[in-house]
Amino acid sequence: MTMEIRPLTRFIGGEVSGIDLTRPLSNGHVAAIEAGMDRFAVLVFHDQHFDDETQLAFSRNFGELEVSSGAEMSRPEERRLKMEMADISNLDSRNRLRRPDDRKRLNALGNQLWHSDASFRAIPAKYSMLSARIVPARGGNTEFADMRAAYDALDDDTKTEIADLITEHSNAYSRETIGFMRDDYGQEFQDRLRPVRQSLVRTHPVTGRRSLYLSAHIGTIIGWPVPEARAFIRDLTEHATQREFVYAHQWKQWDLVIWDNRTTMHRARRYNDLTDIRDMRRSTIRGDGPTAEQIQQAA
Amino acid sequence: MGIEIRPVHPLFVGEVTGIDITRPLFADDVAAIEAGMDQYAVLVFPDQPLTDDQQCAFTANFGELEVTLAGQMAKPEHRRFGDKLELGDISNLDGANESRLRARDDSRRMYALANRLWHSDASFRAVGAGYTLLHARIVPSKGADTQFADMRAAYDALDDETKASLEPLITEHSIIHSREQIGFEVRSDENADRLKPVPHRLVITHPKSGRKSLYLSSHIGAIQGWPVPEARAFIRDLTEHATQPEFVYAHKWKVNDLVMWDNRTVMHRATRFNDLKDVRDLRRTSLKGVGLEVPHAMAAE
Repeated sequence: MTMEIRPLTRFIGGEVSGIDLTRPLSNGHVAAIEAGMDRFAVLVFHDQHFDDETQLAFSRNFGELEVSSGAEMSRPEERRLKMEMADISNLDSRNRLRRPDDRKRLNALGNQLWHSDASFRAIPAKYSMLSARIVPARGGNTEFADMRAAYDALDDDTKTEIADLITEHSNAYSRETIGFMRDDYGQEFQDRLRPVRQSLVRTHPVTGRRSLYLSAHIGTIIGWPVPEARAFIRDLTEHATQREFVYAHQWKQWDLVIWDNRTTMHRARRYNDLTDIRDMRRSTIRGDGPTAEQIQQAA
Repeated sequence: MGIEIRPVHPLFVGEVTGIDITRPLFADDVAAIEAGMDQYAVLVFPDQPLTDDQQCAFTANFGELEVTLAGQMAKPEHRRFGDKLELGDISNLDGANESRLRARDDSRRMYALANRLWHSDASFRAVGAGYTLLHARIVPSKGADTQFADMRAAYDALDDETKASLEPLITEHSIIHSREQIGFEVRSDENADRLKPVPHRLVITHPKSGRKSLYLSSHIGAIQGWPVPEARAFIRDLTEHATQPEFVYAHKWKVNDLVMWDNRTVMHRATRFNDLKDVRDLRRTSLKGVGLEVPHAMAAE
């Protein structure tokens, strides 16, 4: 059985067959998956019967695991999974559906905005790997947008205008957009909301392709008045997420999807989360380094 | 030569020729324009060199003029048109001093940037605007299109289940919310009453055509009875649906274009231009809407 990749759209996404990821991989397979990621930015694997241990073991093939920011921002008794496993579900720590006004539920609604994972960290994420354990009957798609194609499609004036722009990212900005306020995180987590700087245009370390580094976590552009920055980022985001650049993934149980946060944005779509269970688990690989110089924070 | 309306988009928007709107109109011309508005929702009148007074007079054919909120809230020295509060200043000029452009951090510029979000004019009032009329005096060399989206087509394209679920929903609109979205805080000390959220139905029926449409606007900050983040995420999804490319017309301005739209059936937004270098001077008049009131009992639920 050999691994094969079939393109899913003109720009982004490949569907992989002929490989069982739950078993130890050869170096050749790891290299083939990385090459596929560099080309397609998103890879879809079906029928991968992961548990948390096998998912984490598979993930470690591609770099250092990142601790989930959702777990970091939760008290121990609120956690359902281990720290390296981001809990992308509508269940609480006792496996019950979250209620309409549950703080975690309202926070998670921010994932319905286009974003790049962990862009609010000075060293942001490389790959995210999302495994579907339980999927709802309807809705709950994840959409991916190709930030390389989005960059390429800009006119030259805009490319020049944005070449050196530095943006400021914080989880608080994306949540504020939907009215989940800074205070709602709880006093002990305020430090984690401190903004970090990122380049608006970044270059992929392997392919050398440029891409737009956009995310709902962006709150401003350094040196710009805030409203002007936000209006501009909205325009860029709309351009970057136009249909041509988007692949919509409709989940089946045991799908694993890997995406490169350096070259894509993604978002969750709505589903009936008060009645249907959706249990997805995400492992995340840390990136190689910062995209911009940080300002020194006073201790 | 009689009035003629030619469609310029598959769903809505008509271009009107064969009429001089700088002069008083006959009753049948007014009726023809109103019928055109019911059908097309947006009408474009090219080559109409209107003065301010002529624009106000033309507007008054269709109802009662509304004063602009920005005018009401502005300091007198910042108003370009003095006491003429029914004339909206859609320009990047620095108040009475017409030789200067607004500076990059001018608060009026910041306030106006929110016009780049999809909205329906004056939806933050208990009775939102009916028609808005925008006349182009000076246009920049590049950019600054105004885009319109057909909220009737957006409604029609929803599946039956969604239509039924939207029918009872009441949204809350405030100018504070649209400005907040781009990080601009509207100060409320003097204007608290004008900033208070007002309720509107999400699905409205046009009083004349009988067609249903989505009454969406960037001024929406909440849905009554919903947690705020859920309401905002949902309104964003609906807005994205409602402003998909098929439902949108982009107007490229020429000097002396007058564009007239019905805020009950379309949303619109401004787009970017080089406003620190190029002058853009458009003037807006609008009419109070009818048929948009939410009964008090329902709003109080």
